[in-house]
Amino acid sequence: MNIVALLRVVPDVVEELEIAPDGKALDSEFLRLVISETDDHALEQAVLLKERLGGTVTALAIDAPEIDETLYGALARGADRAVKTGDAEMNLSARAAALSFAAAIRDLGPVDLIVTGAQAIGDLDGLVAPMVAYYLGMPYLGTVTGVAPGASGKSATVIREFPGGVRGEFDVPLPAVLGIQAAEKPPRYVPVAKVRAAMKSQSIATCGVATAAESGPPVVEVLSMAKPEPSGHAQMLEGDPDVLAARICELMGARGLL
Amino acid sequence: MPEGEIARPVFYLLPVWMVALFYLLAATGLGFFFYGAWHRVRRYLRGRADDQAVFTWQGLVRGAAAIFPNRTVFRDDPYAGIAHLCTFWGFAGLFIATILVLVDNDFLRFVLPEWQFLKGTFYLVFSWLADLSGLLLLAGLFLLASRRLILRLPFLRYQARPEAVRLPSPPALAREDWLFLGLLVLLGMGGFLLEAFRIRAGGPEFERASFFGWQVAQGLGSLGLSPEGAQAAFPYVWYFHAVGALALIGWIPYSKAWHMLAAWYSVAFKDHAGAKRLPAPPEGDSGGYGRIEDLTRSELVMLDACTRCGRCHAHCPAASGGFPLSPRDVVQVLRAYAERPAANGALAGGVVPESWLWSCTSCLACVERCPVGVWHVPMIVQMRRFLVAQGQVETRVGETLQSLGRYGNSFAASPRNRAKWTQGLGFKIKDARKEPVEYLWLVGDYASYDPRVQEVTRSAARVFERAGLNFGILYEAEQNSGNDVRRIGEEGLFEALRDKNLKVLEKARFEKIVTTDPHTYHALKNEYPNGRPVLHAVEVLDELIQNGKLILEKTLDGPVTYHDPCYLGRYNGIYDAPRRVLAAVAGEVAEMPRSREKAFCCGAGGGRIWMEDVPGVTQRPAESRVREAAALAGVGVMAIACPKDLAMFQDALKTESLEGRLAVKDVVELVEECMSK
Repeated sequence: MNIVALLRVVPDVVEELEIAPDGKALDSEFLRLVISETDDHALEQAVLLKERLGGTVTALAIDAPEIDETLYGALARGADRAVKTGDAEMNLSARAAALSFAAAIRDLGPVDLIVTGAQAIGDLDGLVAPMVAYYLGMPYLGTVTGVAPGASGKSATVIREFPGGVRGEFDVPLPAVLGIQAAEKPPRYVPVAKVRAAMKSQSIATCGVATAAESGPPVVEVLSMAKPEPSGHAQMLEGDPDVLAARICELMGARGLL
Repeated sequence: MPEGEIARPVFYLLPVWMVALFYLLAATGLGFFFYGAWHRVRRYLRGRADDQAVFTWQGLVRGAAAIFPNRTVFRDDPYAGIAHLCTFWGFAGLFIATILVLVDNDFLRFVLPEWQFLKGTFYLVFSWLADLSGLLLLAGLFLLASRRLILRLPFLRYQARPEAVRLPSPPALAREDWLFLGLLVLLGMGGFLLEAFRIRAGGPEFERASFFGWQVAQGLGSLGLSPEGAQAAFPYVWYFHAVGALALIGWIPYSKAWHMLAAWYSVAFKDHAGAKRLPAPPEGDSGGYGRIEDLTRSELVMLDACTRCGRCHAHCPAASGGFPLSPRDVVQVLRAYAERPAANGALAGGVVPESWLWSCTSCLACVERCPVGVWHVPMIVQMRRFLVAQGQVETRVGETLQSLGRYGNSFAASPRNRAKWTQGLGFKIKDARKEPVEYLWLVGDYASYDPRVQEVTRSAARVFERAGLNFGILYEAEQNSGNDVRRIGEEGLFEALRDKNLKVLEKARFEKIVTTDPHTYHALKNEYPNGRPVLHAVEVLDELIQNGKLILEKTLDGPVTYHDPCYLGRYNGIYDAPRRVLAAVAGEVAEMPRSREKAFCCGAGGGRIWMEDVPGVTQRPAESRVREAAALAGVGVMAIACPKDLAMFQDALKTESLEGRLAVKDVVELVEECMSK
């Protein structure tokens, strides 16, 4: 079974995000890019399937600064190939990213299953995965939490979880694109030595860069970005407990709470 | 032997066929011994070559100084010390006596009969000393057996182990313990009985030199044993003793009796310091100890030095708290595995279960207490390394390691917030990357990010400032030192952290390193290639108080007690500096029963602070420790000198409901309190 895991990096929200001086993008000076969490789960699910059923895993990523680190990490985790596509300089829209992925997948040869994160913090609508499916003419299922390919390899049983504690099982013909919500097991830790060994012994290929012409000119433009204005502040009261108690009663009375 | 000479005929009253048979049996016993010994040595040689020189003259001297007075056995257990010293010297005396007889009778008698020396006065002294040795041996064995039969010491019992760990079974171990003891008792008593029969059978008056044997002979006489009866029975008594002795000799290399030889090696040639500085992982892809051949030759000998005395078990914070780890079991299982590697499958995560390995706090109490110099902690870390290389770490540890790799701290916090604790100090701490300082302060993760510890960190900054110390920090450029990362077994990440820190240190201008964190202290002092002095804050405070730069305006009411952090105490021997500082601020340091080398770990080390609680734990080490401190009359404060201690003990105070009774405070906070009236 040949599986492709699609990976993208997103801004690390552990760092405080700053807006660039032009007010239209994130300031890249302090920006730290990390693999999107759900993509990490998709990669883990791909490696788990490979360990269970054999086959190959290809980690395919949209090029970005320091993407090599992520791809070597994927190799160290058990991927057989690491490929990057797209243009690191272009801040790709969901459509452009999907086109790049689709172009690269066509170059990669036969594929049975494509997994990627159902959503990413840069793609909250979860557009990329279904678009890849559309461009490749494959079925798509999102918010997936479990995959069990059938014995014939022609279809897979897919588990999805819905709000309200409902779980559904679906049968999907292969090849298909799956948007992974969570892998069966949390992504494993990859020791540094293994990543270093992957860096020494393996390399990253580039393929299928979609041209700007293919994706067309951007039709949506960023007007401005800003931090949300805080809507209200907590008021801190200080002082003698008796005075404070009276003040609290007064405030609550004024708000009709007493 | 001429008539009337003071000497003893060997093979007295024995027919020739019995003498011949004896030589046959002796050859068999020695054959077993040498075959077993050869087998063991061959097994050692299958291990990895040591990276340090094995034989040194200093080692020989150190070994003799420790072994002849049984110093390591005496330490913190005088009863065991006396018992073992008696057994040791009793056995040694009888062994030397036997060798003398061998040389005199089986060598000189044929080659140089005029050189035979077991006669005359020498024989009398020899007899007297041999009897004394026999008595010492029996007395020692009696004391040792009492530990098992009368005192019933709990750490001499073996717990049942999980199903997966088949070898060696606890009852089999207990049988071997008793067989060893029993054989020695049999030999000691048999020797005296034999002597008594010989004397009763017609021993001349000078045999009184065998003072105890003589008394036994008189006793046998009064019980009705005639000289003729003694003569008739003598060959059988002789054989009983000879066969027992040969059985013991032949059995030595197949049992824990082998410690008589293996412990010499591990005590003499292996220094505890080596266990403090972790060795490099073995070459190759395994990353750590996955097969028995990955162990070094020295480690294989150490396993054989173990007598299962249980001190490591009794002092282990994991074992005493109900965690699934006994350092003794680790040694026993490894040893059984070394004997039959093929039958047992994988090492780390197989015969030594993962749950054992992850329970270790790396506190070093086992290594410190071990009388025969076994290095439990490095072997455990080497096995952890193997698990980590296989990606077998629990989720939370994996997340922490990832955070350490990505952000350089274990809190998954932005490096930019590392020096946020300095806000509100009222003064600016120098940036050691930009201006030269005398003391470069490496703050450490917990001291930088943990909100409870930040207050202590600010206190240290204020004290340093008021004492006029010229110090600076590295702000966001500092990363975790990697001490605990290394003990988790993630050597690659340790190296990455170390290299990043070294790069920053290279650019900073400073003379000494100071830290409030013993883990950072240990790493920088012993595991970084760093040529400059490394000091813990308590050492700096001690110096400042001694030379009058730090003036204390008042002292605290009542005594305080002090908890020795593992990485400051056992790992680096800093016991007195904190006590001198505390004596200056509180007048008196009340010691807990477990203090200094015997201090009981808080449970945080070795990465345990990042791990999930283990099911079945009866008492967390920190809880046991705060109870110990609270039991001291009149003591309201437990002073600490480690940021992790604060986090661990404050939680323990809550779970043990001791919050009103005991306060946990860093030494530096107490110093600051006393700096103003």
